[in-house]
Amino acid sequence: MTGHLSLNTLNVLADGLATPDEQGLAAAHLARCTLCQGALDALRATMRLAAALPRSMDPPSEVWRDIRATIHAQGRADRRWWSVPGRLAAAAAALIVASSATTALVVQHYRSPEATVAVRQPVLPVAWQAAELGYLSSVEQLRGQFERQRGRLSPATIAAVERSLGQVDAAIAEARGALMRDQANAALSELLASNYRQKVELLRRASQLDAST
Amino acid sequence: MPHSRFWISLVVALGASPAAAQQRVDVRRAVTPDVYVRITGTFAALRVTGWARDSLVLTGSLPKGTRVEGGVGGTPGQPARGAKFYIEPAVSGSAAAGSLDLMVPAGATVWAKTGSATIEVSAIGGGLDLNVIGGSIGVTGNPRELNVESMDGTVDVNGSPGWMRIKTATGDIAVRGSAPDAGFTTVGGNLTVRDGTYERVRIESVTGNVTFGATLARAGNLTIDSHSGTIELQLPPKASLDIEATTIAGSILNTVTSRRPTPGREGRGDELTLNLGIGDARATLRSFKGNIRLLTR
Repeated sequence: MTGHLSLNTLNVLADGLATPDEQGLAAAHLARCTLCQGALDALRATMRLAAALPRSMDPPSEVWRDIRATIHAQGRADRRWWSVPGRLAAAAAALIVASSATTALVVQHYRSPEATVAVRQPVLPVAWQAAELGYLSSVEQLRGQFERQRGRLSPATIAAVERSLGQVDAAIAEARGALMRDQANAALSELLASNYRQKVELLRRASQLDAST
Repeated sequence: MPHSRFWISLVVALGASPAAAQQRVDVRRAVTPDVYVRITGTFAALRVTGWARDSLVLTGSLPKGTRVEGGVGGTPGQPARGAKFYIEPAVSGSAAAGSLDLMVPAGATVWAKTGSATIEVSAIGGGLDLNVIGGSIGVTGNPRELNVESMDGTVDVNGSPGWMRIKTATGDIAVRGSAPDAGFTTVGGNLTVRDGTYERVRIESVTGNVTFGATLARAGNLTIDSHSGTIELQLPPKASLDIEATTIAGSILNTVTSRRPTPGREGRGDELTLNLGIGDARATLRSFKGNIRLLTR
């Protein structure tokens, strides 16, 4: 027992389906646990992204097979999360994004059987994909800010930033690939999370550079 | 009743040396012991010194035509609580030049941001927030809080901040001293932490090498993550801590005890758990493909 909120509890909270008692218990834990609060925020971010998707989106057939395999693998696990249409769309979105995006994260505490996707193609566990979306969202936003002021920065500064970003991206790709092959490796997940933090932090600093510097 | 505020115009003596095309800066004001000072813009060198006087003095020499804007704010007749200085070159984008010398009360909080420059700070007991792209930052003393961000610039700290965060892209970091709470982040810079005692330390690097040769306090916690940099933990002779070291593809060298690392998951990398003494503190070391070395100082 990790002492952290389970994936199911986080999903129930994200769906707004928790009872008052459940909400009270969860709120007390979330108030002192940045890990769980971060995971819940990431789930809610995923739902917001999913809400913007077309309702009639038709994913490739192999994606549906993966989703069915995931549902099947979860067996008797609480099915509330996927029985909600919005959450089902979120799962589809997460798989699609994961297939084209660079990386992922999350913490070992959520690597329970119900959070692990058993699919043929190597992908990160579903919960990690949700967290990755949160990171990618931050990266996209900060990257946009950096690009907007690129013209005001010296070529040397831009080169220095890009060089470091390249190093971080290479590290993310390497750790992400390894984690997809070895999903239960706690050290890998921590290293991948560290690399993602580096990227977000580097972009944050780069986006705050200005012409005077 | 709202206080009337005004900005004292700066005393900038121009044309002191036409041949050198320099202008002097000379600002002097009475300030509170905990005055907040911001200085940003383009300059090549900034020296900040804390002193036992309730006054601010900014002197220096800048290229002719440089605009020095901002100033010291406050209510007339009373010590100022804040000051802001913006240093803008005559021609936008020109190379950093000129040097400034800032004297402030030791309890001041100083925020400085520039491009490529040398910043040296000493004897400040308040907060320090220093930001450069290149050049170097040096801090000596015991600021209450120390936050340093640099891209390529090197960072050297010699002292014991109450709270410390240092982040670089490729700049090297060298720290001698202590801190209850410290965090170091670098992409490709090399990091060295020596001397002193730490309670909570988190270190993250991508390709940079990390050497930690300080002491962990009782119940202290050290976490080091690196993707491909070498992690070296230099332990005191009678260390009392639990160590958990993991590499995904790198190796672990243990010269502290006779215990040998075991192969990692799927036969790659190494794993090693050590329990030294009664385990007063805890160190977690993780590297993807860098090597980890455990040595005795």
